[in-house]
Amino acid sequence: MSEIKVNFILNGRATTYVGEPRTTLLRAFRAHGVTSVKRGCEEGECGTCTVLVDGVPMKSCMMLLPEVEGKSVITSEGLVGPNGELHPIQKAFIEEGAIQCGFCTPGMIMSVYALLNENPDPSDEDIKEALSGNLCRCTGYVSIIRAVKKAAAMMRE
Amino acid sequence: MKQTVTNSGVGKWVTRMYDAEKAAGTLKFVDDLEFGPSLLYAKAVRSTVPHGEIISIDKSEALKVSGVKEVIVGEDFPYRFGLYLKDRSPMAIKKVRYIGEPVALVVAESEEAAEEGALKVSVKYKELEAVFDPVKAATDNSVLVHPELGSYEHVDFITPQPGTNIANWFRVRRGDIEKAFKEADYIFEEAVTYPQIAHGFLEPHCCVCVQDPVSQEITIWTAGQSVFTTRDIIADALGLPLSKIRVIAPPIGGGFGGKAGMTIEALCLAAATHPNLKGRPIKLFISREEVMLSSWVRQGYVARIRMAVNKEGKILGIKNTFYFDTGISAEYGANPVRSAGYTSTGCYYIPNVWTDSYAVYTNKPFGGAYRGFGMPEFMSALEMAMDIVAHKMGMDPVEFRLKNLLKPGLPTCTGMPMHNHALETIVKKVAEGIGINKEEPAKRNGWKRGKGIALAIKAPAMPADAASSATVEILGDGSVKVLAASMDMGQGVYTSFAQIASEELGIPIEKIKCYYPDTQSHPYDWQTVASRSCWSMGMALKLACEDARNQLIQLYSEYWQCDPSEITIEHGVVKCRKLGKAEPIDTKIQNGFKMPDGKYKGGPIIGRGHFVPPDVIYPDIETGQSPKSVVHFTVGAVGVDLEVDPHTGEIVVNKVVCGYDLGKAISPLNVRGQIEGGTVQGISAGIMEGMYYDDKGLLLTPSFTDYKIATIKDIPDEIQYFWEETPEEISPYGNRGVGEHSMISPAPAIGNALFNALKVRIHSYPFTRERVYKAIKQFDEKGNVDFWEYPFAREQDYKQAIKSWD
Repeated sequence: MSEIKVNFILNGRATTYVGEPRTTLLRAFRAHGVTSVKRGCEEGECGTCTVLVDGVPMKSCMMLLPEVEGKSVITSEGLVGPNGELHPIQKAFIEEGAIQCGFCTPGMIMSVYALLNENPDPSDEDIKEALSGNLCRCTGYVSIIRAVKKAAAMMRE
Repeated sequence: MKQTVTNSGVGKWVTRMYDAEKAAGTLKFVDDLEFGPSLLYAKAVRSTVPHGEIISIDKSEALKVSGVKEVIVGEDFPYRFGLYLKDRSPMAIKKVRYIGEPVALVVAESEEAAEEGALKVSVKYKELEAVFDPVKAATDNSVLVHPELGSYEHVDFITPQPGTNIANWFRVRRGDIEKAFKEADYIFEEAVTYPQIAHGFLEPHCCVCVQDPVSQEITIWTAGQSVFTTRDIIADALGLPLSKIRVIAPPIGGGFGGKAGMTIEALCLAAATHPNLKGRPIKLFISREEVMLSSWVRQGYVARIRMAVNKEGKILGIKNTFYFDTGISAEYGANPVRSAGYTSTGCYYIPNVWTDSYAVYTNKPFGGAYRGFGMPEFMSALEMAMDIVAHKMGMDPVEFRLKNLLKPGLPTCTGMPMHNHALETIVKKVAEGIGINKEEPAKRNGWKRGKGIALAIKAPAMPADAASSATVEILGDGSVKVLAASMDMGQGVYTSFAQIASEELGIPIEKIKCYYPDTQSHPYDWQTVASRSCWSMGMALKLACEDARNQLIQLYSEYWQCDPSEITIEHGVVKCRKLGKAEPIDTKIQNGFKMPDGKYKGGPIIGRGHFVPPDVIYPDIETGQSPKSVVHFTVGAVGVDLEVDPHTGEIVVNKVVCGYDLGKAISPLNVRGQIEGGTVQGISAGIMEGMYYDDKGLLLTPSFTDYKIATIKDIPDEIQYFWEETPEEISPYGNRGVGEHSMISPAPAIGNALFNALKVRIHSYPFTRERVYKAIKQFDEKGNVDFWEYPFAREQDYKQAIKSWD
């Protein structure tokens, strides 16, 4: 299959990927070493590949690479500062024990990031609604809710 | 006097190792590793019939796909693998036994080419009659899943029954069961069933294998819980020395038993060892559907429990029959069958016991290890039976349990005296926390509220000789390198290990690092299973730390010319208060100390420790009796407060209260994580999870759309947890495992709470909306309290189900 060029912004930097039009955004990222974007099902069910596309959390296994042409995409690596400083959401996840195996974490954190951008003081119900597309088998989600509330408080300060 | 001081030792609430990399997404799982352009990709072609002879496999069209290098079939790699029983080949040879069994492996230059090639392999079968119902398979030998069973190698403590579908038969014969039933005032007979369930870890299995064409050495990177066991199984099957197989386990995305033993590695090796492919790394990543089909499942379960009880509410005897549906392989699944067998009186003292626990082959995906290892299945039956008996006798279910409790000193069903525990305190706390006897109105309009309790118990189920070893190296700046080959699959065991090292060495946790397992660098450990790591590896690691500390103190005492007892290590600084000396650990620790006589002494300090359970004796094959059948038990209890909508069957759990006696919490943050996570996994299993098949054996639930696991919307409004710390005698800090236990009893507690709410007893797990609704309807229409649904015989009712097994 012939390959095409796709230009987009990845974590604030102009980026060009070359790939087949049938390539999913998930596989394109992973082929380019952006491995925070995990493949847990490639069927749009688990949320481990969640990224932000123009601010909206999207399952990258359900998008084709050409769909991000001209758009801005943020992944979990993109939340880390230039000297490795973690984002308050990432810090809150660590402090609250909201990470176990860590496989769902990058995608989960992107969904939290999108939520807190829209709603800086979410209720339990808001959190559950926003994260209902991200599966986690380890934590039972309880610590994740604690972490989101803590992150929200840190970010409001 | 304690010679070490730290703020990050055993029992401290510290944050976890590797979490920063996990939060950023920079931690590399197997699928994230780079292998360069020589990497090839493998994709399995899978059986489309449940049982059949392979007539032909046509590879020609697949080989025409651009990028396809090779198509491999079973005969190319004719080896049998297995942990306890060698009944599994990585690809079917001559015969397929379930839908989803690999029949060929396509290897290509890209994942897409391998996927395309796999679609173009065409296989012809001559279909054979298949068996899906474990009860039928156990009692009727007209279809044999493994007619060759008698020729399979197995360990001594597994007892396959050639000529049948019984892969293992574990027995307990204790006391005089007939007399107990003769003397009983009441006899109760209950049946419970639970379908197979899936682990649902988020990271699918992935491995990369390469074999050096000259040395023949094999290297495997795998998402596995068991590097050494994987190495040993492969070496044994291929006849290679252990030194020629290197297994590396990068971080894994959840295990829950599903990545224990050997899973997909042998299938990948079929490609890596192929003469035309040798030297090139081969990657096998299996899709979510393939995970559901072809890695371990929790075995399906059917139990019949007969109880003999006297007027005072004392249980005199119990007669158990368990059928574990192990699918087409019991290579690992044979052991949960033992676990349920040798714990088959649960948390209770019952003097007369007769248990038959069977692993039964069927033409379905195969059973293996799953968090709880036989105990969630069994306790789902026993704890429901206890509740039924209490209600039928008009006794309080909590009081009935306490009256029969397996108090310290009383014998378990294998004759082993129970060790000290705080179960009575836990049960009372849970009952009170949930307000078990307090009738409360439902919070939701038109719903019904109920409360229930269930007890939990589990021993590490492992061979008597499951050993661990560790080394601890103190580096030239006072950092510490810990090599302890347990797998941190999310449970946080490296944090616990770092806390142990910090405690024993007086070095802050920030300077301690535990490395992911690699058989080339790490000393041996059996497997990361059985909630054994903080205990077994904990023993080895503590000894290793003591060894390193003693070496350090000995050198400093000679260096400073003081008594070893006068030296302390405090927050990484070595001190002798008497001499007023204090210095941080420095390069002397690796290069040697210049002693007062001018000569150098020492060199790198490496502590070592090893451990094997010193006193476990395998239960007798005929009777299951042993003075010490297992190392110890962790006990606990779960209380559930729920409400249910009678119009839809929907269940909402308001509150869970649970407590466990774990001896000592080494890493409280991780203990909390295990309790919260296991509780939700247990609720998920109890309310929504089950693997279902059509009448041809086709899995109907191969994705997260059809196989539901709990989302964030499915969790209880509140989880209250606590733990007791009754110390274990043989244990590094008195600790016992708790990783699996939180998953054991939420499901039966829900079942008992449902009865409390609806006065309907549902004997078939899980309690899905449809099933709860049907049970209510059956009660309303026919007045039947007991509701029974067995997926392999839909018309059967509960009492007939029991009779038909006699």
